Amino acid sequence: MAVTLIPTGMLREYTGGQDRLELAAGPTVAEMLEEVDIPPAVVAGVVRDGELVPKDYRPRDGETIRVLVIMGGG
Amino acid sequence: MDGYAGRMLRVNLSDGDITTEPTPEEVIHDFLGARGLGAYLLWTEVPQGADPLGPDNKLFISTGPLSGTLFPGAGKMDFTTKSPLTGGYAGASVGGMLTAEIKYAGYDSIILEGTSPKPVYLYIDDNAAELRDAEAYWGMGSFALEKRLKDELGEEFQIATVGPAGENLVKYACISHDFGRQAGRGGVGTVMGAKKLKAIAVRGSGGIPIADTAEFARIAKEAYRACKEAELLDVWTRYGTMMVTSWCDENGALPTRNFQSGSFEQGSSIYAPTFREKIVVTDKGCFGCPCPCGKYSYSKKHDVYVEGPEYETNGMMGSDLGVGDIEDIAKANQLCDELGLDTISAGGAIAWAMECYEKGILDRDQTDGLDLRFGNAEATFALIERIARREGWLGNLLAEGVKHAAAEVGQGSEKWAIHVKGMEQSAYDTHDATSMLLAYMTADVGAHHNRAWAITYDISVGRDLVTPEKAAKVIELQHIRPLMDALGCCRLQWVELGMSLDYYAPAMTALTGVEYSWENLLHISERVWNLTRMIWVREVEGFGREWDAPPSRFVEEPAIGGTTDGKFTPPEAAQRMLDYYYEQRGWDDDGIPRPETLERLGLAELVEV
Repeated sequence: MAVTLIPTGMLREYTGGQDRLELAAGPTVAEMLEEVDIPPAVVAGVVRDGELVPKDYRPRDGETIRVLVIMGGG
Repeated sequence: MDGYAGRMLRVNLSDGDITTEPTPEEVIHDFLGARGLGAYLLWTEVPQGADPLGPDNKLFISTGPLSGTLFPGAGKMDFTTKSPLTGGYAGASVGGMLTAEIKYAGYDSIILEGTSPKPVYLYIDDNAAELRDAEAYWGMGSFALEKRLKDELGEEFQIATVGPAGENLVKYACISHDFGRQAGRGGVGTVMGAKKLKAIAVRGSGGIPIADTAEFARIAKEAYRACKEAELLDVWTRYGTMMVTSWCDENGALPTRNFQSGSFEQGSSIYAPTFREKIVVTDKGCFGCPCPCGKYSYSKKHDVYVEGPEYETNGMMGSDLGVGDIEDIAKANQLCDELGLDTISAGGAIAWAMECYEKGILDRDQTDGLDLRFGNAEATFALIERIARREGWLGNLLAEGVKHAAAEVGQGSEKWAIHVKGMEQSAYDTHDATSMLLAYMTADVGAHHNRAWAITYDISVGRDLVTPEKAAKVIELQHIRPLMDALGCCRLQWVELGMSLDYYAPAMTALTGVEYSWENLLHISERVWNLTRMIWVREVEGFGREWDAPPSRFVEEPAIGGTTDGKFTPPEAAQRMLDYYYEQRGWDDDGIPRPETLERLGLAELVEV
């Protein structure tokens, strides 16, 4: 089991186009982002089961986390 | 004229004369509809130097070619006028259902001219159009009147109203529609109020001529499907624009206590999850939208319903006033909506007054007894009421806008009057974001975010970088986003859901039968942008570079706290960004479009330079 991290939109530019990353559970989402070279500052939201969670959330084994970028704002 | 209704309704409020006339085909060709058509009409029909609140000024209510069609987000329209807040160009868009109804009634634009001797409302039922007595409605709030007119005329009528703020000529009164949608900025509601036009009620039963119906439907359905399959659809639907609150806070962009800081210590209490959990009742969308980003909310604490708050209101009525209770923000939102005030400008004006109060420049006599400290929600509610009704010295002063108020009060308070061209800045702190600062400096209505939202770009490439590429990005966005306003559709399908820009030109080609490319559409958008600039040049004596000056706070005072603590943009950096911008636009050092630029854009003859 692992955590599935899904970068959306242009965040995939930081992951070489990968749209799903399998990561070990334990770190916070912010730490995971740094591990995969996505600057946390550009991530607008972290989503678990359709709900926003903070970047210091620690995903558990088997969870899927989407990370969002805001392209154009309001 | 496929894609367009083909005619315009001209309403003279002075003598009650109502006529129709063909929409000029060459104008549509050169400027498109909605924002583009409105800018053209403002340039050609409003005489130079017209008093914004006098009979010579006009209010143009214009739909776009995509308005009311199957294309995703085709529910937008534009209100254009000479701004009573800034003295220059004003263009304010609104969603909801009004644009489709006007188009179905058979009009590309409603031209409102003159001034009625008594309160009236404009009734339109397809070809039937008349001015009706509105004495009984004068003084009513926006929601109350919208409900009453729907009760009296029928649910299918779409209504736009002004509240007491518009009647009282508050310089940033908005036009309200659909129980919570506003054409908010620049005082379009003030102009409507000055014309004594309390409301517009429209019902239409016609259709829209389409050049290639099958092809247009195919493109529109494909685009719609792309939106419905977008990977962010669920999140944007759940939270709407409130989603950006936490991100702004983390990145020092959430305006806090009159933009003294970009981070709010009570931030999490106004983030999207709190909002959704505590007050959201249901989602609400505009005409033809696959992503209902509007949120209908109920505050138990105040027993009020409101559509919102959305992000801008959250920032300007929340953190920028030091108010950290989402229910208080909802209440302030509801008051502004009912009274017909732009929440952004009202928030900016109140924040300025709170800072004056805390610095001892305004005392309790001048605030008419209000303890106007940051964070005082009850004082905020009271002041909103007073502004809308121009009650008391402070209410009347703030009704003129923050630029005027600061000039009146002086004592250095101009330094924390956060505006560009006289328009209060919307809810992004720009101490440390040079693209976004430039976007505010150069937006064609004043300090408004929706022309170019470049702050993500700042954060991606380096917030304090001063480069020609950053100016180019601002210009690129200033062409794309306002293009949507000329087409009569919402930009959020692109910016929120990532719907491809490749849909727009083929859709326009199938709709109108005119061959469009994306580059061609952007060229038209650039033409409109330069025309709005020329409106400023014509209407504001001595218009030039200083009108693009940033608010002093962002170039002189460091931000306090948060991730941008101690940061500000050196004045010379802001000016260098402006140099890059002017050069790339083909404007001179004073920000005036050069003759060869106007020639290139096909504007030379129109503006006669």
